[in-house]
This record gives sequence, structure tokens and C-alpha cells, in this order.
Amino acid sequence: MARVDLSSVHVEFPIYNVRSRSIKNKFLKMASGGRVIKDANQHIVVSALNNISISFLHGDHIGLIGHNGSGKSTLLRLLSRIYEPTHGQIHIDGSVSAMLDIVQGVEAEFTGYENIYIRGTLAGLTRKQIKAQIEEICELTGLGDYLAMPVRTYSSGMKVRLAFAISACINPDILLIDEVFGAGDAEFMEKARRKMITLLQQSSIVIMASHSDELIREFCNKVLLLESGQIKYFGNAEKALEMYHLSRVY
Amino acid sequence: MLNESTLSITDLTEDAIPFSTKGPKRLAWEDLKEGLMRWQVWYMLAYQDIKLRYRRSLLGPFWLTISMAITVYSMGYLYSYLFHMNIREYFPYLVAGMLGWSLISVTLTDLIEAFSYPEAMLKQIKLPYSIYVHRVAMRNIIIFFHNILIMVPILIIFHNVAKVNFCLLLLIPGLFIIYFNFICYGLVFSMIGARYRDISQIIKSLVQVAFFITPIMWTPDILPPSKRFIAYLNPFYAFIELVRQPLIGHAPTLLNILVVGVLTIIGITAGYLIFPARRARIIYWL
Repeated sequence: MARVDLSSVHVEFPIYNVRSRSIKNKFLKMASGGRVIKDANQHIVVSALNNISISFLHGDHIGLIGHNGSGKSTLLRLLSRIYEPTHGQIHIDGSVSAMLDIVQGVEAEFTGYENIYIRGTLAGLTRKQIKAQIEEICELTGLGDYLAMPVRTYSSGMKVRLAFAISACINPDILLIDEVFGAGDAEFMEKARRKMITLLQQSSIVIMASHSDELIREFCNKVLLLESGQIKYFGNAEKALEMYHLSRVY
Repeated sequence: MLNESTLSITDLTEDAIPFSTKGPKRLAWEDLKEGLMRWQVWYMLAYQDIKLRYRRSLLGPFWLTISMAITVYSMGYLYSYLFHMNIREYFPYLVAGMLGWSLISVTLTDLIEAFSYPEAMLKQIKLPYSIYVHRVAMRNIIIFFHNILIMVPILIIFHNVAKVNFCLLLLIPGLFIIYFNFICYGLVFSMIGARYRDISQIIKSLVQVAFFITPIMWTPDILPPSKRFIAYLNPFYAFIELVRQPLIGHAPTLLNILVVGVLTIIGITAGYLIFPARRARIIYWL
């Protein structure tokens, strides 16, 4: 059974190329919700996540909301094991698949097919497993003969289709999503939506960051509201959204 | 009563959370192990790097071979006269040496950027860090096997000097030792390179100097006997000999192998000291 536990987890980014500290301090405070402090070696440190203790259990579909710089993406990267906590402990039970910045890493010089193989391999699939799924992926992209062309000839919407189709073919226990519903025409959006729903149903735990209230209401049974890297509220979706919109008034 | 019992249950579940007690050494070891097991990933990335560089050119990766061939053939011809060397002795020595040098020097400069160059990728998907080191090492080994074609005409033209014999087989263990050292030193250098961005510039200029002070264009016996140790103890020389001597039909000397052995032990120690201790910080340096 998939399970995620975090116990007083901190994530702090050291900033190494800081010369004039005071100006940088002010700037960072304005630009992000993250708090800027100094660590033991007098490095400037941005505290992106601050004392997070939380557990996600089987069946949790978590909506992750918060203003820009509140730590949503950092939390997702922490859960996908990219960042290791600077303090505190994290335990993840189950396979994780992250759909973060999905278009990133699509190689422009390679064809659609080649990109499917590259991404599949990176995700830990063998050639055989990719071959078994390739038809489904191609069908989902709806790109047809374009798949044999280099990706640099694609429009941005087509790139999103390709990236989405590849990412969506992996069935993990824990699915992490960061604002994937981007470009794409109506027909594709409908297809992507259906795929997404089956993917969400198959995953044991889903954590998705979104700025869309409708998506959160539709797909999530719990909402985690982050503010300045701290948990402000965890629980009922309506309550969290209400709090989120209230805090918008600066 | 009821309150107490529920309390104890929640306490129990709190305790039951199996937080990993794995130390940094264990995690580092798992990183290395998983990195080896997922060889398809780094082999693919390595090959992709090369393909990408020559994507729309007719000859593809063989441009590497051609540009290398032009350099070494013209150098070999000119320098044999410049140094008053017997061309039949000198030409194979220089070409084989250049193959070894380009393998080691290019890998060294690439390794510094093993983490900082694919920065975006490291922040996007979780892969063992060792995969990126394997990728750089493998990429350069593949390039080496393209370059080795340059030796073919040499071995034909100078067949009475540079003999193809069973010593050629020593190339295989030699390359394995070199690969192993790429990984050990690679872990260290790539971490230093990720943390201190000036290092890559420093190394690049040092490598240029190293080319001249290492016996590649010249042989150690040009030096007076009392000064030859400078050449023999040169780490570049020791590793280059692992490639050069088998290619021209000799075995590396015992002293060579000894120097390589010591360097390997230093590499393992450095990797052991640095990689487990700072591995978790790498992503924060990017």
C-alpha cells in the first residue's frame, strides 16, 4: 500500500553567488514567498519548505494550492526524491511518477518516436515494455505521421501532446502532477482528460498542484494549502479554497 | 478510558512510520548500484549526446575520426622531422598516444560538467547521480572506438614497427581500468565542478599545459636519465600508456601499472570520502 510520510521536513536552498546581501535579501522577499535566512557558513539560504509534517495515505487525491513561491513545486520535487530534505525525514512507500515540467527534456532534434523511447527509458521502462505501449501512446498523441518527424517541426501544442502522452503511459503508485493541463486544442483536451481520469483512478496516491479551482474540486478529495513554505491548511477542499482566495487580498 | 486508548493508538501509528535510518554511505552505495543496473539509461544518453552533435551531417560521428586523423597525421609527419626522430618509430607512437590523450583529457574536462551541464534534467527527473558520470565516461569511450580506426592505416603502413600481436588484447583490461578511474575521479570532479563553477575553467587551462609536459609528442628517453621520473610519475602518462602500448604491440611497463594502481587507490579513497558525504547536496548546488 502506497504511503508518504514527512516529519518536520525543511528544504533550504543555498544561494552561492550573492555579493550584496542586503539588496538580495530584499529582492528575494519581494519576489517569492520564501523566507531568506543565513546558514551556519554565512551563506544566504532561501527556506522553501519549512517544518512540514504530514502523511498521505492510500486513496488520497491531494490538491496542492498556494501562491507563486509558496513551495508547491519544491514539495513535488521533494516527493519525487529530486530534493532530499535539508532537515527532517521523509519516507515514501511505492513507485513514484512525476509529471512536472513535462515539455522540458523533449529533444528537438529527435523524432517523436525517438522521444517516446528516450522518455520511456528514462522512466525505467525496458524497450520491450515501451514497444508494448507504443501504439497506445501514438494514439493518445493524435500526431499520426508527425511522429516520424523531428520535434523541432512541431508546434508548441503538439509538443505538449507528445510529452503528455509519454508521461501518462506510466502507471505509478504515487502520481505527482504540476499544472499539466496547458496548451492543446479542444479535441486533445478531451482525450487527455479521459486518460487523466483513468490514470488518477489507477494511482494509489495523487498529489497535484494547480491554480484551477475546478480541477481541484473535480479530482481531489483533500487539499493542502501552502503559504511561505508552511502548511496553512490541510483537509476539506472547499474550506481550503476559501482560505486561499481570502489570503489573496494583500 | 476511551480517550486513553485512542491516544495510544495514534501514538503507535506515529511510531510505526518506518522512517529510513539509512546513512549517507548506504544511500551513496545504492546510488552507485542502481546507476550500474540502469546501464541502458546512460548508454542511451551517451549515444544520444554523440548523435545529437552530428544529427544532420552526412558522416555523423565519423567527423570525430576525420578531424582527429587530420590532426595526428599532420603532427606525426611534421614532428618526426622536428624532433629528428625515426618516422617509422615515431609516427605510430604519436598517433596511439594522441588517441589515449584525447580519451583521457576530453573525459576529464567533460566530467567536471557532468552535473552542471544537464542541470535542467537533474531538476526534472530523479535518476541516480552516478548515471550522469557513467554517461560522460561512456560517451568518451564510444568516441574512442570511433577514433581507433585511425590506427588501422598506421598498423598497415608501419607493420614492421607497430605490430598487431596479442598485446593488443591488453587494451581491454586497460580500458576497464581507465573506465573505473573515470567513475571514481568523475564522482569527485563532477561534484567539485557543480559546487565551484570556476573549477572547469581552471581544469581546462591545466589540461592544455598537461599536453606539453606529458610524453605524448615526445618520448621520456629524450630526458636525461636523472629527470625521467618526471615523465614516469605523470598520472596522464601512466594512463595513456595503458592505451598506447597495446596499440603499438607492447605491454605497459611494471612501473606504469604500479603508478596506475596507486592512482586508482587514491581515486577510490577520494570518491569514498566525498561522494557519500555530500551526495544529497548536489542538487542544491545546481
